[in-house]
Amino acid sequence: MATNDIGADLLLECRSITKSYSGHVVLDAVDFSVRRGEVHALVGENGAGKSTLIKIITGATGRDSGQMVYDGTVVPMEHLRRDAEALGIAVIYQELSLIPGMTVAQNIFLGKEPLRPLTRLIDVRKLNDQARDLIERYQFPLKPGDLIDDISIAQRQLVEILKALSGKASLMIMDEPTSSLTKTEVEMLFKIIALLKSEGISVLYISHRMEEVYSLSDRVTVLRDGKLVKVLDKEEISPEEIIRLMIGHKLEEKAVQHELSPKGGNVVLEVRGLTSVGKFEDLSFDLHEGEVLGIGGLVGSGRTELVRALYGADPFDAGTIRYLGKEWVPSVRKSIEGGIGFIPEERRLQGILATQSITRNIGIPNLDRIAPRGIVSVKEEDRRAARGIELLNVKPPRPEQLVGNLSGGNQQKVVLAKWLVRDLKLIFIDEPTVGIDIGAKEEIYEHIRALSARGVSVLLVSSDLPELTRLSDRVIVLRQGRFFHEFRECVLTGEKILRAASGIREGDDE
Amino acid sequence: MSHHAVRRLILIGLMLALSALITAINPVFLSSGNLLKLLQEAAQTGIIAVGFTFVMITAGIDMSIGGVVAVTSMVCINFLHYTKVPIPVLVFLSLFVGALTGLVNGYFITKFKLPEFIVTLATRSILSGLALVIAVKDSLGFVQNVYIQNDSYLWFGTSGLFGIYRTTMAFLILGVGAQVFLKHTRTGTNIYATGANPTAARLTGIDTERTTIGVYMFSGVCASLAAVFISSRMMTAMPELGLGSEMDVIASVVIGGTAFSGGVGDVWGTMLGSLFLALIKNGILKTGISPWIQPIAIGGIIVVTVIVDVWQKKLREHLAARAKIKRLSAERGRDAA
Repeated sequence: MATNDIGADLLLECRSITKSYSGHVVLDAVDFSVRRGEVHALVGENGAGKSTLIKIITGATGRDSGQMVYDGTVVPMEHLRRDAEALGIAVIYQELSLIPGMTVAQNIFLGKEPLRPLTRLIDVRKLNDQARDLIERYQFPLKPGDLIDDISIAQRQLVEILKALSGKASLMIMDEPTSSLTKTEVEMLFKIIALLKSEGISVLYISHRMEEVYSLSDRVTVLRDGKLVKVLDKEEISPEEIIRLMIGHKLEEKAVQHELSPKGGNVVLEVRGLTSVGKFEDLSFDLHEGEVLGIGGLVGSGRTELVRALYGADPFDAGTIRYLGKEWVPSVRKSIEGGIGFIPEERRLQGILATQSITRNIGIPNLDRIAPRGIVSVKEEDRRAARGIELLNVKPPRPEQLVGNLSGGNQQKVVLAKWLVRDLKLIFIDEPTVGIDIGAKEEIYEHIRALSARGVSVLLVSSDLPELTRLSDRVIVLRQGRFFHEFRECVLTGEKILRAASGIREGDDE
Repeated sequence: MSHHAVRRLILIGLMLALSALITAINPVFLSSGNLLKLLQEAAQTGIIAVGFTFVMITAGIDMSIGGVVAVTSMVCINFLHYTKVPIPVLVFLSLFVGALTGLVNGYFITKFKLPEFIVTLATRSILSGLALVIAVKDSLGFVQNVYIQNDSYLWFGTSGLFGIYRTTMAFLILGVGAQVFLKHTRTGTNIYATGANPTAARLTGIDTERTTIGVYMFSGVCASLAAVFISSRMMTAMPELGLGSEMDVIASVVIGGTAFSGGVGDVWGTMLGSLFLALIKNGILKTGISPWIQPIAIGGIIVVTVIVDVWQKKLREHLAARAKIKRLSAERGRDAA
């Protein structure tokens, strides 16, 4: 029974949900609701609290305080994943949760297979029939007997959706469902969402792509820094408005806007037509001496893959690179010897050796200097570590301290120190300040600026818009693995970068 | 046709080609006596490998199987030497040894979140020592070679209908049963889900801990069952029996297409794998190549199989990426038009 009474028509209602991780508030008294049969988009920058809110709704994590009512049932504080499922909350994750060696039908009905009454064996025919019925009802391009191994990512996503539908879901949460789909596949997904909606199923949609949010949603909730900013109704939704709300007030924007001033000077790195199949395509740019070139774009736009390829960590398929005027085929060893540094994203996984001392961590990329004949000179290693600790103001300044025990900010300083104790000409920096407190952030910014002042070229990848805006001399925005826009000689704001990353063309840049 | 089927056909083709080659060098290979022996060889490893397949599908590994074979055979020898326990009871007791070992393995792996390899390797060491401790000793304290004279027990190691060894029959029955169990019961499905994606499995309501404990118990039972057949055929048993058989078992399972990473594989593959391994071993003997080559060949085969599997996977991913690029450019072409 559909009514226009909004209050009675709420499927999910959250009141002043609060959550903090080790003292850091990630959700601050957020109100949130989803109506029956609506498509509701949840948007916000990285770190706005979207994923935490979703985790709380799905029972993947607990809440500190706040009420939650689902379908007229009060959801207790102790709300586990299994409870959420029983209530009818289904999630389609980015990383798919299917069993690769099994068929489509087996995956759809995992854990609820129809059994033969006598033998208790799975009734395979019935299983396939049920799957076929479900597939035909939604007209998905799937066959019950296909192995998951043998179908495309888009088809796998459809299987996930069917899996949720077979469990009588009333709310379907889709976390960035289109990030790995082609355009035709996205169109198909949109049709499916419309179909779900017509069946009275609510869809909670999380996406960075403005045009999707714009064309799909009945309502949009905007989060910023763990707080609810605004809930937009259908007629209020416009990409410009959403981005404005995501970024914040005009006042704050002033503080982070930045006059771009591209540097001339010698070209240090010249990239032409660089392509890595499925990751990025036909990228060309120059990086000048002492220039900080920012790379903007959404998660999955190929930024990380690009810097990894340039550093020599991953191979690429086509294109040429010239470094200091010479033809350059990168490899990690050559990069390090040639004065190129790399600060990877995911500090804990790729940046540090957690169980080793600060000295060892700083020593690792400098073994060519501290162990030229294969035997580590402890004196030289200590000397470099001491220099790195002093230079970056690592706290505590104890060289024997295990890096795993340092705070995030100090860990990142150690990662930076590895390279700052060398003669660098060029450094690739990927998400340098994720999960770092403001003080350490500013210090790291100072070091990046100092590097550039010393003539070191910096290629900076960051999803932190103020960071990208403040540090860069020039910004290139990638979109779906391809060059989308370049900002130079203009007043840059985070909003402009986000608009470009979301695929909105500037009328004409001033 | 799925790539699993392709892989299997290649394996069968390879076996036929090898058989032809061996026959060409030594026609005795095709004699019924040799073929029955070969099947029996395959069955002895294969029975253990069936249980091991279950473990590997859950992304685990069971290094204790050799130890289970040793201890089980020593338990049997003791009962046969000192008591007159009816054979069905004896067989039940011996299978209990394997089940208990599996329970202990599974318990430590799931409750204390210990690495499977370490737990089962420790169990293997403990069991191999235990086998020596309980072995029947002579008056000087040396391990005594006990000859089994109980005809009912020796029945297991002999041949029956058409000269087919009972070990082979047991292997076939166990294999078919295990395959049906894996593919046609919920528990079987749970085993795959646990190995492929434990988090997803738990979210679907699957008790992954119980599933894990279950597969280790089954693996132990299979090893114990193999111990009965092997000791019966040899009409005796040493405390070292079965230690070192891990390599052959792992080779059978891997050749059969079960992945170390879990979630993929089946018993048909393992049965083929153990047959392939027995064929290689038999072929080495029949063609007059030094038997010392055997372990080298087995190690080499494992490496080659894993390389081929990785390579096949890369090729598939590459083709998928190409296909996607093609679709993307087709879409762009349409947009431009």
